[in-house]
Amino acid sequence: MYISGIGIVFTRGRGIDCFENALKQGWADPFWTDSFPAYRVSKDILSDKTVSKKLRRADKFSKMAVLSAVDAYKDSGLILKNDEKLGVVLATAFGPHTTTFSFIDDILDYGDANVSPTKFSNSVHNAAVSYISTVLESRGPTVTLTDFSYPFQNALLLADSWLKEDRCEHVLCGCVDELSAVMEYACKIKLKTAADGKIKPFMFSDSPVSVLGEGSVFFMLSKEKCENNYGNVSQISFSKALKNNPDITIIDADGMAGDESGYEEISNNGLPISGYSPVFGSMIVGSAFNFAAACLMLRNQLIYKCPVLDNNTNMNLCSTIQDEKICEINCIKICRSKKYSIINIIK
Amino acid sequence: MKVVISGIGTISAAGFNLEENLNSMKNGKRNAGLVSLFQNVLAYPVLEVKNLPEKMEMEGIRTFYLALTAAKEAFIDANLSMPLSGFNVGVCLGTTVASQLNDIDFYSTFRKFGNADLKAVERFLRGNLSEALAHLIKATGPSVTVANACSSGTDAIGIALLWLRSGICDMVIAGGADELNRVPYCGFGSLGILSKSLCAPFDKDRTGLNLGEGAGIVILEREDVYIKRGGTPLLYLSGYGSAADSYHLTAPRPDGKGLESAIKKALSDSGISAKDVCFVNAHGTGTIDNDKVESAVLSRIFGENIKYFSTKGYTGHTLGGAGGIEAAYTAAALKQQWIPASAGFISKGDQIPISPVTVNTNISGSYAVSTSLAFGGNNAAIVVEKV
Amino acid sequence: MEEVNKMNLDDIRKLLKELLIESLSLEDIEPDDIGDDEILFGEGLGLDSLDAVEIVVLLQRNFGLEVKDMNQGKEIFYSINTLAKYVYENTRT
Repeated sequence: MYISGIGIVFTRGRGIDCFENALKQGWADPFWTDSFPAYRVSKDILSDKTVSKKLRRADKFSKMAVLSAVDAYKDSGLILKNDEKLGVVLATAFGPHTTTFSFIDDILDYGDANVSPTKFSNSVHNAAVSYISTVLESRGPTVTLTDFSYPFQNALLLADSWLKEDRCEHVLCGCVDELSAVMEYACKIKLKTAADGKIKPFMFSDSPVSVLGEGSVFFMLSKEKCENNYGNVSQISFSKALKNNPDITIIDADGMAGDESGYEEISNNGLPISGYSPVFGSMIVGSAFNFAAACLMLRNQLIYKCPVLDNNTNMNLCSTIQDEKICEINCIKICRSKKYSIINIIK
Repeated sequence: MKVVISGIGTISAAGFNLEENLNSMKNGKRNAGLVSLFQNVLAYPVLEVKNLPEKMEMEGIRTFYLALTAAKEAFIDANLSMPLSGFNVGVCLGTTVASQLNDIDFYSTFRKFGNADLKAVERFLRGNLSEALAHLIKATGPSVTVANACSSGTDAIGIALLWLRSGICDMVIAGGADELNRVPYCGFGSLGILSKSLCAPFDKDRTGLNLGEGAGIVILEREDVYIKRGGTPLLYLSGYGSAADSYHLTAPRPDGKGLESAIKKALSDSGISAKDVCFVNAHGTGTIDNDKVESAVLSRIFGENIKYFSTKGYTGHTLGGAGGIEAAYTAAALKQQWIPASAGFISKGDQIPISPVTVNTNISGSYAVSTSLAFGGNNAAIVVEKV
Repeated sequence: MEEVNKMNLDDIRKLLKELLIESLSLEDIEPDDIGDDEILFGEGLGLDSLDAVEIVVLLQRNFGLEVKDMNQGKEIFYSINTLAKYVYENTRT
């Protein structure tokens, strides 16, 4: 499964070039609200007069999704003649919850009979994909998935099966999640917030620190290798036993999924290890952003330095940006249950 | 490699299990009434599941309880017992309500005081439908929840089919579930598509849908796995198709191209043609737009003699549960070789090209199709095969 | 809402334009850009079925007016003029 395009909307802006610059720059201060840090996506990042008027009613969640999906499509350089050949898979942990709460505001403020139908329509998880398929005039298969552990991995798995079964020739596969006041309130209590605004992926703590993020990443995935190519997803596994020696291992440690001590044994084998969550924030869909970093590394043959290096074991961290021959990267996520997931990408 | 439907379970306003559901349909029993589950001022009829035990598992996540009830029936039907050790089992369920944190009391307190008891949040975080079921039964295969609005259940079953074909698991518990909830109730009301009377799918005087709740679960297995554990295959899930309208956030595409594409893909995936299909379990919500588009597509693909019906007159529109419940009904109908009358239908008028069946009808044949059209324009169809 | 019964047609037209722009998220449009006779649905402003039900809610919330069915709605929602006339006539008490 070839990665032929990437689109991204995150705290520092929009576009794969913007993301690459952020990886080169390293860690940057999050937005602070009453000493609570978060990597928010500001409104101006989402303003775009060229994307069709069909987005007029869309909420922030859908806008992030559409912009990154459209960017991934454009990045691929492909122009698809048959409108049934493109599928869309979107995975999310919490969906457009800001709009759900806004709709509940309507119920509480105006009563059951005076609520906004537009808000309701936007509050369903699959609204974003509806906008994407309408804007791109795409009539292939479309699915929205929701998962609190491995949303991105599940999305990749589904995209892979669609391509293998020739249900489409390309799939726009991506993840979106957003912040809201309710979420921030709950996370302040249930998670440990990094007082200095720095996620520390390599402390392998059983109660790691987090800095919430939001955003969207989409990948154009293709059955055949295209002119624009970042790499090839060769395996998506949910077991520990992936017998390979990747050039780099990227871990999804970000303080969001509980106990991170399980990552320690990965670092023990001495192979280079990295993790970029301090650039984009703590998200259940963070895997997708780390995967984007992996794609850039493979294409550019460049290792980006870990944005936050704090650690207390002797491990081989990517501590400087360097040109390097990179053939294979593993992206690993471990959730509370100690269940593993590994995505293997090759050049 | 064929995929067997080894077990079926369903719960809805029509009954607590498959047999009760089928009996309600056989007898034309429609259990609609006003909302009793939550406070509201709208008077649209709904189809609630009555008399659920008060102390429900998972501390009252109603959707999960409905799913679990149907799943338990399906396990028994499939001759499976807990724990499901020795098999690599996946879970793929569709839902809409359970994927949202829509606890109004919690949010009302939070917005007033800036803080609130986090019980509702914790319940939500434990309640991703597929994840919760997988955790409960200690399933070790893939699990993901499908949030594709009204086609979630059908898409979940389709995804399960793909998982099994690709060999990443031996068995999948698939389907969908949704509880009746004030948020979609108000939401659909605001869209003007709830009927003030009992819904009448495909009828010329139809005025909208009735919301319902329930769950439909099918156990899907690789044929070799099923035979190895002593099963004799009777029913197969032989095909799945899905396609987007690319048209509008709420209205279905008037020319029905998306649904047409989904059905044709399902038929082709199954290796059959339209003439091999002996009946279609339609989405048939009772709205002006859905029924108009869907009946035109069915007529175009299957011809004017196709037997079709909607069961939403008996269950209401169960949103994420619809695809699961209707897959269960389709499999059962094929097995028992009869289909129910399309409840609520009297006459078709000019807009609808072909009438659904008006009496319980015996059928003979090996293939049936179940269709789903979702809010947001996704269309899905599955093909069920009987040996 | 108490003031609506004192508003003249002109003021109602202006208010409606502002409300439509806000509740339908009509970006980059000012009230003056919407002609009084301009067709609102299909051509003209290009509104659709979702906007129609949103306007139903707008009328309920802001003027306490209920549109009984969408066939009636089709006539009322034809243009700003027809919409304003409907609001004016039904809020005179």
